[in-house]
Amino acid sequence: MGDSWDDEQLLAALKESLRARRAVPPEFIEAGKSAYAWHNIDAELAQLTYDSIRDSGRTPSMRSETASIRALTFTSAHLTIELEVSEDSLLGQLIPAGVGAIEIQTRAGAIATTPVDELGCFPIRPIPASPFRLHCHTTDGTAVVTGWITL
Amino acid sequence: MRDDPAVIALVARARDGDQHAWHELVDRYAPLVWSICNRYQLSRPDIDDVGQTVWLLLVEQLGNLREPAALPGWLATTTQRECLRVLRAARKYDSFGSPVESQMSPDQPAVMIEQEVIAAELNAALRAAFAELPPRCRQLLSMLIGDPPRSYAEISATLPIPIGSIGPQRARCLDRLRRSPSLVALSDGEFNGSAVKDARTNDSGGEQGG
Repeated sequence: MGDSWDDEQLLAALKESLRARRAVPPEFIEAGKSAYAWHNIDAELAQLTYDSIRDSGRTPSMRSETASIRALTFTSAHLTIELEVSEDSLLGQLIPAGVGAIEIQTRAGAIATTPVDELGCFPIRPIPASPFRLHCHTTDGTAVVTGWITL
Repeated sequence: MRDDPAVIALVARARDGDQHAWHELVDRYAPLVWSICNRYQLSRPDIDDVGQTVWLLLVEQLGNLREPAALPGWLATTTQRECLRVLRAARKYDSFGSPVESQMSPDQPAVMIEQEVIAAELNAALRAAFAELPPRCRQLLSMLIGDPPRSYAEISATLPIPIGSIGPQRARCLDRLRRSPSLVALSDGEFNGSAVKDARTNDSGGEQGG
């Protein structure tokens, strides 16, 4: 790449690379750097393993809004979290069922906590602003956090 | 560019808790994320939103990237997906649809992403190579590519060096730039966009809805 260029081409490419960097506002870069604060939080990560939109092979329709319920599954070694997304709320369930609490986190921090009943179910209303993640603590000491969710 | 040792090392260090490595990754690739957001003509608050989401997703995926060298491709596809999500959300309040998307053929974003990733890699390597130059070279080259470009007389007075040696020094500095490990790694790598395809098939863990 660089070694096949003459001096003028190399100088022009260098100029463009520095221009591209200068075009980015410093706050934009700082916000990216501060995202590292979320690294290694003290809970097991539950990965998104199923998304009804993605895994049914249907791409989200651009033209018509359908009212179908979206389902998401997050899986970790010790706990599976299922979420159903309806118009204005979320309904979640822990598998295996366990009593505990769910903390809802947005980028600004924890915004609410909701109890998990003996069937492992928990409602979340209203739907949090995207992106958000769920931090689950059960009474048997399991702590799991989902990946960031954007709806 | 599947085996750029610099990117692989930065990802590994960031994954293991090295904050400086993370900062360097953001410095390197923020222009890529920024330029894709601008292609979609998002508002500034929407761009900030997309940027934050993309970096949060990357923090989370640091340990799961199967091909750390494919990071630029992963960032580009993730940024594009988040831009489309923001546009879709905006459309709920706007029945006219987005002019950006409707003008695009289905293949266009994929082609664009590949070009953007290649340009971002080249730019990042050039900036890294530039940063490795001795200060005198950086100063001279900065003046030569300044906007507006400085005359040799001005450069000679500022640096200061004799006018007659500006030409030879310019050639020497550019040769040093050309031979820097960052740029050599780029020309040695297989640079055919395979990293992008790789990122697309490997990022299932990063697909957080949308």
